[in-house]
Amino acid sequence: MSRHKLVKGLDLDEELNDFDGGVEDDYDDGVSAEDKEQLRQGLIRVREVIGENGDFTDKEIEDSLWHYYYDVDKTVNYLLSQKAGSQPKKSKKKKGDAVGTAAKDFFKDSPWLNIPKERCGEILIEPLYPRGRLLGGASKADGAPKSKLAALAAARKRKENLKPEDDQDAPSSVTLLDRLGAKPRARKPDPQFSSSSSDSQRTPAEQEKTTQARKYPARKSPSAEALPAEQLTEAPSNASEDLPSSGGDGELERTPAAAPSVFARTIFGPSAESHAPAHGSADSRMSKSLEYHTEFDFTVPSPDDVVIKAQSTKRPAQKPGKQPAPQANNDRSVNAIAHGVEEVAIEDVRVRRKNLDVLAEFGKLKAKNAANFVVIGHVDAGKSTLMGRLLYDLKVIDQRTLDRYRKEAERLGKGSFALAWVLDQGTEERNRGVTIDIAMNKFETETTSFTILDAPGHRDFIPNMIAGASQADFAVLVIDASTGNFESGLKGQTKEHALLVRSMGVQRIVVAVNKLDTVAWSQSRFDEITQQISAFLTTAGFQSKNLAFIPCAGLTGDNIVHKTTDPNASWYTGPPLISLLESSEPVARALEKPLRLTIDDIFRGGVQNPLSISGRLDAGTIQVGDTILVMPAKETATIKSIEVDSAPSDWAVAGQNLILHLSDIDPKYLKSGDVICPPSAPIPCLTSLTVKVLAFSHITPMHVEVLKGRLHAPGRVTKLLAELDKASGNVVKGKKPRLLKPGAVARVLLEMEEAVPLEQGGRVVLRAGGETVGAGLVE
Amino acid sequence: MDRRRVNGPAGGTAPPVYASTLTGKTASAANRTRQPNEIRKIFVKTGLTPSASGSAYLELESSPATHHSKSLTNRTPALKLTCTVHGPRPLPRSAPFSPQLLLSTRVKFAPFAARQRRGYIPDASEKDLAAHLETALRGVLIGERWPKSGVDVVVTVLEGEEDCPLEALAEGNQGGRIGGWGLMSILSGCITVASAAVTDAGIDCVDLITGGVAAIVRQPSAPLQLVLDPCPSDHEEIVAACVIGYLQSRDEVTELWAKGNISPSSSGKETKPLCFETLVDLAVEAANGARRVLVEAIKESTEAKLESSAVG
Repeated sequence: MSRHKLVKGLDLDEELNDFDGGVEDDYDDGVSAEDKEQLRQGLIRVREVIGENGDFTDKEIEDSLWHYYYDVDKTVNYLLSQKAGSQPKKSKKKKGDAVGTAAKDFFKDSPWLNIPKERCGEILIEPLYPRGRLLGGASKADGAPKSKLAALAAARKRKENLKPEDDQDAPSSVTLLDRLGAKPRARKPDPQFSSSSSDSQRTPAEQEKTTQARKYPARKSPSAEALPAEQLTEAPSNASEDLPSSGGDGELERTPAAAPSVFARTIFGPSAESHAPAHGSADSRMSKSLEYHTEFDFTVPSPDDVVIKAQSTKRPAQKPGKQPAPQANNDRSVNAIAHGVEEVAIEDVRVRRKNLDVLAEFGKLKAKNAANFVVIGHVDAGKSTLMGRLLYDLKVIDQRTLDRYRKEAERLGKGSFALAWVLDQGTEERNRGVTIDIAMNKFETETTSFTILDAPGHRDFIPNMIAGASQADFAVLVIDASTGNFESGLKGQTKEHALLVRSMGVQRIVVAVNKLDTVAWSQSRFDEITQQISAFLTTAGFQSKNLAFIPCAGLTGDNIVHKTTDPNASWYTGPPLISLLESSEPVARALEKPLRLTIDDIFRGGVQNPLSISGRLDAGTIQVGDTILVMPAKETATIKSIEVDSAPSDWAVAGQNLILHLSDIDPKYLKSGDVICPPSAPIPCLTSLTVKVLAFSHITPMHVEVLKGRLHAPGRVTKLLAELDKASGNVVKGKKPRLLKPGAVARVLLEMEEAVPLEQGGRVVLRAGGETVGAGLVE
Repeated sequence: MDRRRVNGPAGGTAPPVYASTLTGKTASAANRTRQPNEIRKIFVKTGLTPSASGSAYLELESSPATHHSKSLTNRTPALKLTCTVHGPRPLPRSAPFSPQLLLSTRVKFAPFAARQRRGYIPDASEKDLAAHLETALRGVLIGERWPKSGVDVVVTVLEGEEDCPLEALAEGNQGGRIGGWGLMSILSGCITVASAAVTDAGIDCVDLITGGVAAIVRQPSAPLQLVLDPCPSDHEEIVAACVIGYLQSRDEVTELWAKGNISPSSSGKETKPLCFETLVDLAVEAANGARRVLVEAIKESTEAKLESSAVG
């Protein structure tokens, strides 16, 4: 309350006046006796520093001292810079005066137009760009600085440029300051700022001092070591004196500056001093070539511009009416193209079924007999080599390819494997010298076209051999006749393979007694082998009329295609291997049965055929456009095209090896071992099946692997239903068997983990623990 | 292979070297015409690139040819370098705070810099040179005055020396020799030219840095010899070499790169010992020589600038 009254009563003017007066008084009182004393002392010190080259009044110095709060250094700095700055100003003023005189006065006494020569001036036009710079980029002076930092940099740069001027005009304030600072040290002008001097001019003591101040160890200067100049090199004796010891003899103090080369002169323009190029150098050649060209004057329009200009002026005058015509034309053509593109729109490619009577077509074809045969035998019996020789002798493989294989095989140290490489294409197969997967190849004789299925002999790859054997019509059993190997083969895969092919349904077998050349074509050896093998094969279920034996040598090619010429083999009068193969009876094709094809491989057949499968057509017929069912996925697909023996075909029949290009199906529904069947007669997918089994080893209720062709499925023998009589097939009376002995035939129940496409009459192989335990027939 | 550019043929387009042009030269492998203590003449000019804050051009004159050759391929190699300095400029916002100037150096060989054409992708030797150059410059710049800013120093090698004599190249026995000696001259040139460009940009430095090279060479039928500023094509064999980045007025070394085989006992009794220290001292002499040229060039360009600013 009282506060309000106080404010109301205030006389504002009086208060303000009071305040102003107060400050003034304070200021005047500020220059105390103390300050005056400081000023006086400062004045003396500044005078001392500036020395003789300072013509400043006491007033000036006192003012600046007051300004800088008696800081002597700053005052000196300021004064000196003041002085340096004032001088150019003066000269500028003078210039301005000269310009200021009017032209009228200048030309007062001279007549109009007839100006005397001595008064004529020459107008020099400055070049637009400062020389010594390339064209392009924004000039720093014109463009506004982009950022504060850039502006700062520009300012510093400008300051830097001005510095040398200061240096020339007046003794640098920096130097003076240095002198000021260096009072306690040597009172000697520092040579640092004169470019010609070097360290060596300093006394060693001084050098020590400077080095002590430094953080880093000092470099041992050559002069400090006091090395005599003569100690340098002896070979170029003239040079030793001239070596630039830092003492600096006069000759080497010359700056090794060079004149710009032609290249540099082109960059910097003619302002860089023109210098006669050294004779014989590349530069001289360059300049010579330059002389031939007259320099183009860039102020006139370029030749291109001239042409363009001429064209643009002429055209409308010449044919004013023509311009729209091509326009319309263009429009039409563009439209046509657009229309064409629309027409070309990719349509869903539907393959039309041609409704062929495949059987009639097949009958019309009257093709050669086709035969698939599988080559089996113990590992290293020479299966692949025998087939390679067969292909080579039949000119399926040319000499050059074989030579290449031979060379490569020799590089691997496996010279004798060259023929096997015809069929063993995989790198691993070649490196290990063992066939791993079924190799397929084709050849034709005059009467028959054959497909070779070269099975792996190694026991680790029996499943692959089974896959091959399931596609075969007959088998070629290769036996190694060399001493010891036949016996080991008999114990090994010779028997197992023979049993397997028999259980896969192969009836006929050709036994090639191989490598007889190693036993000098001994007839007794051949007879012994024939006897043993035929006894075994007969017990295995082959009829003796379906057996044929032939002595041969795969590596040398005796008795393969040509009869042997070896005199030791004259006892053999039979035909060579190829004739035996040809004499095989054509197998009956299951043409009338519904379509069955076990997928051998799934692959991408090409850009147009994203999904293809290969396999042998087991039964039935197929044609392009057919809809098929894939089991066990129960997915339908359409057959886009068919390749029979790598030739396109519209149809295929049982017994042929096919590639089918499919559409309308996702590849995830396909896997090798699946069965292709017609939707009308699908193959049943079974999880439990009864199988009539021939036991190769002991079978108990156990886990087994069920193989049919490429099909691999884990399963379990759950029950041994009944033992059967081998000859009649009747159930042997008695109690249920608990174990099957090798050679026994029995009916067993198999439980599969997942449904497998199998039907009655399908031949399966049971394996357990890497061994074939039995072969069976689905009932 | 850079797929964004139109690349030249992969094999390169080196001009053919005809045997007839070589016959006269094969005998004279070592053709150094300079004194051992003489460096090649240097041409330096600043202010080449207007768009850069600082730039410089440096060339080492090619040693005069001893004979009149007709083929361009026999041209003695020279060294031509340009350097541009961009900055100091503010660091991008994303960059972390830096209390001092961030220096980044790049050395780039033009594709036509050497007989063997080079690609655009920086190779190991370019990165190596850039790293050396960065060490050399880092000790000179007063980085504390430019916080939160960066500077880019880009050196382009327009013409770089061959690593071996031309004859060896023609005979194709390049593999037999240890290369890389040419890189040392290039590095020394890079240091000098970068120094000129940095000065042109007005970036605060403690001193002018210059590069120098010295080498121990083996001449045919002569003992080992110390030379300044070796040109690899002039000598039969370079035994050891040393590059230095030297600050004369402070007597400091910011960069030192020596390689080769220096065995102190290999020289005579009376000569200057062929040891590492001698080599370094000689490299310093070479650097001092380069400094004189550099100082003059900078003076000249500064005067030119003053003139132009007075006119403008």
